[in-house]
This record gives sequence, structure tokens and C-alpha cells, in this order.
Amino acid sequence: MTAGVSASPPAAAAAPVLPPANAASRRSLSNKAVSNLLLALFGAAFLLPMVWLVLASLDSNATWSVEIPHLTGANFAAALSGSNLQSIINSIVLSGVSTAIATVCGALAAYALSRRRIPWKGPLLLIVLFLTGVPLAILIIPIFELFSDLGWLSILPCALFLAVTTLPFEIYLIKNFIDAVPQDLEEAARMERAGTTQILLKVIGPLAMPGIAAAAIFGFVTAWGSFLIPLVLITSPNQQPGSIAIFGFIGAAHVQYGNIAAFSLIYAVPIFLLYALSSRLFRGGFVLSGAVRG
Amino acid sequence: MSSQANPVAMAGVAGAVPADAGAAPRPSPPAGKRADRQRFQWSSLALLGPSLVLLAVLFVIPVIYAFYLGFTNLELVGPNAVNWHFTGTQNLQRLGSDPTFFLSLRLTLIFIVGSIVGVVVIGLALAVLLQNAVTWLRILVGGIVVVAWMMPAITAGMTWYASTTASGTFGTLLGMPNSDFLHHEPMLIVTLANVWSQTGFAMLVLGAALRNIPHEVLEAADMEDASRWQRFRLITLPMLRPTIVTTVLLITLISLANFALIYVMTQGGPGNSTNILPLYSYQQAFEFNNLAYGAIIGNVMVLVCAIFGVIYVRASRVRT
Repeated sequence: MTAGVSASPPAAAAAPVLPPANAASRRSLSNKAVSNLLLALFGAAFLLPMVWLVLASLDSNATWSVEIPHLTGANFAAALSGSNLQSIINSIVLSGVSTAIATVCGALAAYALSRRRIPWKGPLLLIVLFLTGVPLAILIIPIFELFSDLGWLSILPCALFLAVTTLPFEIYLIKNFIDAVPQDLEEAARMERAGTTQILLKVIGPLAMPGIAAAAIFGFVTAWGSFLIPLVLITSPNQQPGSIAIFGFIGAAHVQYGNIAAFSLIYAVPIFLLYALSSRLFRGGFVLSGAVRG
Repeated sequence: MSSQANPVAMAGVAGAVPADAGAAPRPSPPAGKRADRQRFQWSSLALLGPSLVLLAVLFVIPVIYAFYLGFTNLELVGPNAVNWHFTGTQNLQRLGSDPTFFLSLRLTLIFIVGSIVGVVVIGLALAVLLQNAVTWLRILVGGIVVVAWMMPAITAGMTWYASTTASGTFGTLLGMPNSDFLHHEPMLIVTLANVWSQTGFAMLVLGAALRNIPHEVLEAADMEDASRWQRFRLITLPMLRPTIVTTVLLITLISLANFALIYVMTQGGPGNSTNILPLYSYQQAFEFNNLAYGAIIGNVMVLVCAIFGVIYVRASRVRT
């Protein structure tokens, strides 16, 4: 546009400049409208599959099709009673134990890898990084062999194995946060004759808490959503987590559509809450540079 | 502050050491380890121990063991469950003449490539559109897409099963309430479901990368009368390249691990038409009781992962 103006004779310049400017702003306005419309269409497309989930969960005689629901809370009540409730409790135990193991072990290892001199640290970190990318489906066969030989095909060993599968990523995540904690703080604590345990609990722990919490949330979400591993490693039906229970609903002789929807929705709730929590953790930001002056 | 030596502190330190130490000629560095270099502390072993033992026993050794199991005749039940042995290339030969395996390999590639293209294109489109959107729409649509991403695979699988089966939402909306899309186009539907559940991640990551592109660069392009498309293709896209490569790598790994989604929707069917490698490996190992054959399919999966990994490393190194 500027090129066009400079090329035109100066006398005519004032008049023709205005209309193109108007056209340009009109064009950008219509561009805005188009992009908003496109976005709304994308939103509608992403929303579409969820419609059934919500409507059927509230419908007393739900089917696979989308209908105006005969409102009821019975589906949610059914989803939270008897064996369904048991499967949710199993999920909590499975994910909780797995998260605790992975986060504690991961935090300790992350501290050592961040601060201590360790022979072959480079290769060690590389192996851990490599492990984050191994497809877990190949592990399930040797682990099944091992656990069935040991008589371990139950919920707690399964939690242990789930912990191991999330451990490599948790180590990396926590290590990054500990790397960001200034060394000076730790040296100051050491001057005051604080031992390693005290430094971990009172200096590194609180300062790297957002990272440790993020790792714990990652571990919990992964374990909560796991399907293949409990399917193979837990033989007793009353130890199985909710993810397997949902699958059992579809194969039932008398399919209860409303219950499936309600249970699926309930099963997703803890994940939504944890993600909301983790975004809050990071939005607040944590500024460590202020801890060291001069 | 520390560089400008504090005379009082210096005097204090000097007073603490024996008087002749200061007067002595500069000592040559002592033989052996340097004192200022951190030494290995045994407590490091206690810190690393639990993780190292767990990773070694339940991760690294099983991966190696899985590789070995692929070359044996181990079965879930029967005589070969106890007395199994190394069988050399027998399983490999079986793979070579197994049409289901080649179908499965092809389906896996379709699933991965389809998911990558869908997730990156839609994720990028959403990230760009969100930047220019009015606030309420941005929060609403961004929220919907992120909720789809957060859903556990099992819930996502259920919703897509319900929506695409006969009398489901999609059929009703398209005026064909009795057509069972999941049955007629199973691979397309499971890939769409995977795209639906992964796009939120790409949208968030690419959105963050978009906000990191310096304004000056885009303004400079405006000065040069670059069109929107030119600006996007010549500036935005190259600057997003590292983020896109990382996203693609992660989507590949997640898609290959997304066993639950397909298992809930189709269990690999109808007639093997969605039987991608992780499902086929599970099916052979735990439904047909053929653990060793399942393991060798797993080995192929690792190979597929490794090939994709090498491609991405290459792609991220190419200079533009």
C-alpha cells in the first residue's frame, strides 16, 4: 500500500488513500468474523461426541442415541454403589500407591542427579530419557511372566509396576525443578550444619514443590487412566479399577446405557480436578531468583 | 559483593589458620583429588538406590527379557508354559508369512500418520484461531478442546463408541440414524477419536510457541507487504518447527500406547480392521495364549518407534 501511495502523483495522493484504508479495515473485520466462525465450528465439532455422555447420564431410559433426557439422578447413584463404588476405591488405591512410590523415589533420585557428583551421570540420564519413550505394551509380557511366577497378580504389585512406568518421566520433571533452585540456598543451610535429610525436607522439598506436585499429578493421572496394565496384571475381579469396570459394562447381558455414561463421567472428574489444580500451581509462578540477593 | 573482599572477614579467616601458613610459598597443588571438586558421596547411592533398583528390575531387564522371549516358544498355558526354550528364527518366519501381521503393521502406520496429520493441522489451526478470537469464544472453545484432551482414554472411547455406533449422534445428525459408522469405517473413526483426544495437547503447546514469536518479526513482515499466508508460511511455520517436531514425536508415542481407546471401541475388529500392533500383540499373547509371538510383535513395535525416532531427530536437525 505504501508503495502505491508513493508512486501516485502527489496531488492525487490525498483522495485515493482513504478508500483502500476503509476496505482494509473492512477486510480485517470480515477476517475476524470468519476466524471466529471457524473457531466456533471447531468447538461444536469437539463438543458433539460429549453431548451423549452428558444427556445419557441424566436419562432414566437412555440408549446410544441422543434424546431429551427423562431427568434422573439414579444413574449417578448406581454408578457410586456396590461393585461400581468398589472399583472406584480400587482406582484410588491403585493410583495413590503408585503415585506415592514414584514420587518419593523420583524426588530422591532427581535430587542426587541434580546436585551430586555421580559416575556415568550422562549415560544414566540418557537411559532414563530413553525409558520414557519405550512403548509399554512390550513390557507387559515379561512382567506378566515375572508376576505370575511370584504369585503377584494383584492390586499392590500392579501399583508398583505402574509406579515404575511413570518413574523415568517423574525423575526428569522433578530434576528440572531442582536444577532451578539456587545452589546458594543449600550451601547456606549446609553452613548451618543441616544434614541431607534436613536439606531435602526443609530447603529442596518446599522450593521444588510445584515440580514435585506436577510429577505427582502426572503419575496419578497416568495410573488412573491405565487400562492394559491392570487388565493383565490384576486377576481378581473385585480388585479391578474403574477403567476395567467401564469396559465390563459394555459386554454386560443387559447394557445399562445411563450407568455407563454416568460412570464414565464420574471417572473423568478426578482428572479434571487435578489438571485444574496443576494449572493453578503454575499460574501463580514461583520466583526463586528473589531468594538470593546480591 | 563477594568479589570485593571484605577486609574484616579476610582478617578473621587469616587469624583462624596457623600463622606460618600465610607466609609459606604458594603450595603446589596436592597430589590426588582436588578438594574443590565435588566427590562421590555414598549417600548418593541411598538417594538413587530405590529408583535404580526399580528401573533395573521392572523396566530395563524386562525390556531385554521381552526381546529374548520373542525368540522362544513360551505359551500362556499348556506344556510350553513351563518347558519353553529358544527357537531361533521360528517366530520371525511365522511373522513373515502372517498376513494379519502385515495388515496390523499397515494399520499402525495409517493410525500414527493419520493421527499426527490430524492433531498437528487441527491443533495449529485452533492455536492460530484462538489468538484472534473474541475472549468468550476463546475460553469456551479452548475449554472444550482441553476437556476432550483430559478425558481418560476409556471415557473418550466410550463417548466415541456411543456417538458413532448405530443410532448414535453422528448418524442422527447426518440424517442416517441407522448407519453404523464405527462398523463401516472403523479405522477412520478410531483415528478421528484419537485425534479428538490428543488435539488439546498440541493446541496448548503450539499456542504457547506462537505467543513466543517476537512481534518485531511479524511487524517487519507487514512492512514488507507480506500477505497473511506468506507471513504464516515464511515466518510462523519455520519458527514453530522445533515445537512441531517435539509434538509429533510425543503424539506418535502416545498414539502407539493408546491401547485402551481402540480396545474399548472395537477390540481390534470388526475382522482385524483396527487391529494395530499393540492390540495384535495383546491378542496373540493373552487371548491366543501365545506369549512368545506376542513378544516378537512387541519387538516390531519398538523397531517402529525407533524408526520414527530417527526420522524426527533428522527432521529437527535439518537447517532451514
